[in-house]
Amino acid sequence: MHTRPSPLANPLATVAQLRETSSQIDNIPRDLEDSVRFAGARLTQAAGILLRLPQEVVAQAVVVFMRFWVGGEGGSLVEFGAAQVSAASVYLTTKLSAYPKSPRSIVNVYAYLDSVSFPSFATTTTTDLLERENKAGDYFVSEGTYQTRKLDLFETEQRILKVIGFQVHVSLPYALCITYLQALDVFSHPRASELAKRATAHLNTALLSPQLLYLTHQPPSLATAAIYLAAKETRIKLPDVEWWEVFDTDREELGFLVVALLSVENFAREEERVWMGRRVPMTVEAVEAELKRRNDSDD
Amino acid sequence: MSSRWADSEADAAESKRRKKEKEEKKRLKLQKQQEEAEAAARAAAQQESRPSKRRRLSNDDEDGESPKEKTDSQRNLLRFEAGGWGPCRHASNFETLNHIEEGSYGWVSRARDLATGQIVALKKIKMDYSQQDGFPITALREIAILQRARHENVVDLQEVVTGNNPNEVILVMPFVEHDLKTLQEDMSEPFLASETKTLLRQLTSALSFLHENFILHRDLKTSNILLSNRGHLKIADFGMARYIPPPGAPLTQLVVTLWYRAPELLLGAETYGTEIDVWSLGCIFAELLLGAPVLQGKNEVDELALIFALCGVPTEKSWPGFWRLPNAKGLKIPRDSSSSLKTASQIRTKFPFLTAAGVDLLSSMLALNPDLRPTAGEVLRHPYFSEAPKPKPMELFPTFPSKAGQERRRKASPNAPKRGDAQGLQNLDFSSIFANREEQAGAGFQLRVV
Repeated sequence: MHTRPSPLANPLATVAQLRETSSQIDNIPRDLEDSVRFAGARLTQAAGILLRLPQEVVAQAVVVFMRFWVGGEGGSLVEFGAAQVSAASVYLTTKLSAYPKSPRSIVNVYAYLDSVSFPSFATTTTTDLLERENKAGDYFVSEGTYQTRKLDLFETEQRILKVIGFQVHVSLPYALCITYLQALDVFSHPRASELAKRATAHLNTALLSPQLLYLTHQPPSLATAAIYLAAKETRIKLPDVEWWEVFDTDREELGFLVVALLSVENFAREEERVWMGRRVPMTVEAVEAELKRRNDSDD
Repeated sequence: MSSRWADSEADAAESKRRKKEKEEKKRLKLQKQQEEAEAAARAAAQQESRPSKRRRLSNDDEDGESPKEKTDSQRNLLRFEAGGWGPCRHASNFETLNHIEEGSYGWVSRARDLATGQIVALKKIKMDYSQQDGFPITALREIAILQRARHENVVDLQEVVTGNNPNEVILVMPFVEHDLKTLQEDMSEPFLASETKTLLRQLTSALSFLHENFILHRDLKTSNILLSNRGHLKIADFGMARYIPPPGAPLTQLVVTLWYRAPELLLGAETYGTEIDVWSLGCIFAELLLGAPVLQGKNEVDELALIFALCGVPTEKSWPGFWRLPNAKGLKIPRDSSSSLKTASQIRTKFPFLTAAGVDLLSSMLALNPDLRPTAGEVLRHPYFSEAPKPKPMELFPTFPSKAGQERRRKASPNAPKRGDAQGLQNLDFSSIFANREEQAGAGFQLRVV
């Protein structure tokens, strides 16, 4: 366990951790868990934007959020709401970054997102959401509520740390992706920035993947797959050799990741279809209610 | 007494071997799991994506070579590993043997791992439940940094365990017998030149590693440096450490224990970097030579006065821009050339037994102007380390009875400033620094530049 870790590497989830999660042991259906994790990741991303955080910090928060739920000893949706874990992940990650945010800011932002029913699929884009007009009264947090939520934030922060054994470090593929593009001499191409944008978009998409790509694959492979796919989409020709091997990714892994990245879109559409007009349950109570609803409709 | 130590060392070696075996088994198991996972992934990839790509590739490679064979047998792709994660174990896996120390930041005790018999140091984090910021940022940084900073001369964080109380968080590290400060206080004479060299080299090598990985330690001092009975040195206590932030992000000036604090920090510099650690390194070098801390200032003003007395007075030439530092405004520095005050460094006089190369190295580390200090990497390549006497091999280090292992008898020494300590740094009045000396100089000249 104590081999010197590469600064490029992330700790990865074990097969056992991926096979069975704490929520599943507590009889949460797998599809519901996937939906909640997906919504939680989107919520984290939205909160990060509202908090004016660089995408690197947001990405770290999403990965910490995802790490929390995996494995039989991970967090369970019966005990923790996704919104609460998302908030604490953001708080924790920003604290270690160069952009610390106060508990007050975190509580306010999550109250605001809750007031606009995020994450729902009614609003189409995050930009829409941010530009919407709102009545301040909808998301005002009273002093008493703030104190309660702050304590909850601290408590959840501590639980996350213990559940993930303080593994808060996250290596990210973004900078690698740019370096790889430079190594491939892409930037001499007139549409290079289009390619770079697509690749970055795929890396952001991968954060939301129900296959937990950041928990199962190392940053060099993620960056390589994002570039491969982006080059196909923008029809920019990359060297006619197995260049991915230069970036330590073999063809099997590349293929797997490309398919996984492409599948997120369908997954998201399906989520939209299933949850249209309803809210994904982001609290313990909402999960309970959803389970009850499912049981009732089965009867 | 020696037999007692020999015993426990043999024990330790044995338990280390057992632990290693166990880890090896664990690793193999993990590897097997990973292979299974990879096989599964491969199968999936084969199903979903392989056919089309295989076809395309074979079209591209029509020169007859079989690319597949080449991939499998000859190409060696790098595999990155960084372990995994799991919940913290409980503190009851350890049996406390004795307490070692209570610092500003937590309690340290010696304990035995009940499963492996390994002797470890447990550092219990003080959770300050005035709770303004949740989990203490210093502890969080220390853990996050120690997890990444794996180096033979940096203390090895084995795991983090939790206690019964939800607020109890304990760091588990291998037990090391001595800290340099306590050890030095008990020695009748300072370390030999060859020993000093070995210690300084290990310390600098760790510091160079940290800086290369963008980590500032910010509290280097002899009480934070551990030494095993085999002469193996390890930097500990990363409670002040942090990653070098992007330019423009605020840094606190309230860092580093006073006696090891660089002049630019005392003068209130808002940006600083790895140079402050090199200054502390210079202070430690001097301390190893003298057998006692070299700049024992009573407060910030006194500390700066001592620094100027040892290293000379800064001039616009030796340290351009020094007058623009926030606290330099109140500073009245006597005119240098004519007065009896030395602008030149007193280091050569203060360390008469140090070789010319040694004086050169120490003076460069204790340069007032941070830009003139060498990097840790440059220190390592300094001729001082290659000239006689050669650094003493670690195995030949003398052994000493360990205070931490047996008894506690410690003297008080100042700690690093705490978070949220006096904001007074901004308004320090350094105007009195030269008050006494001016009388001696008698000339009455003062140069005041604002």
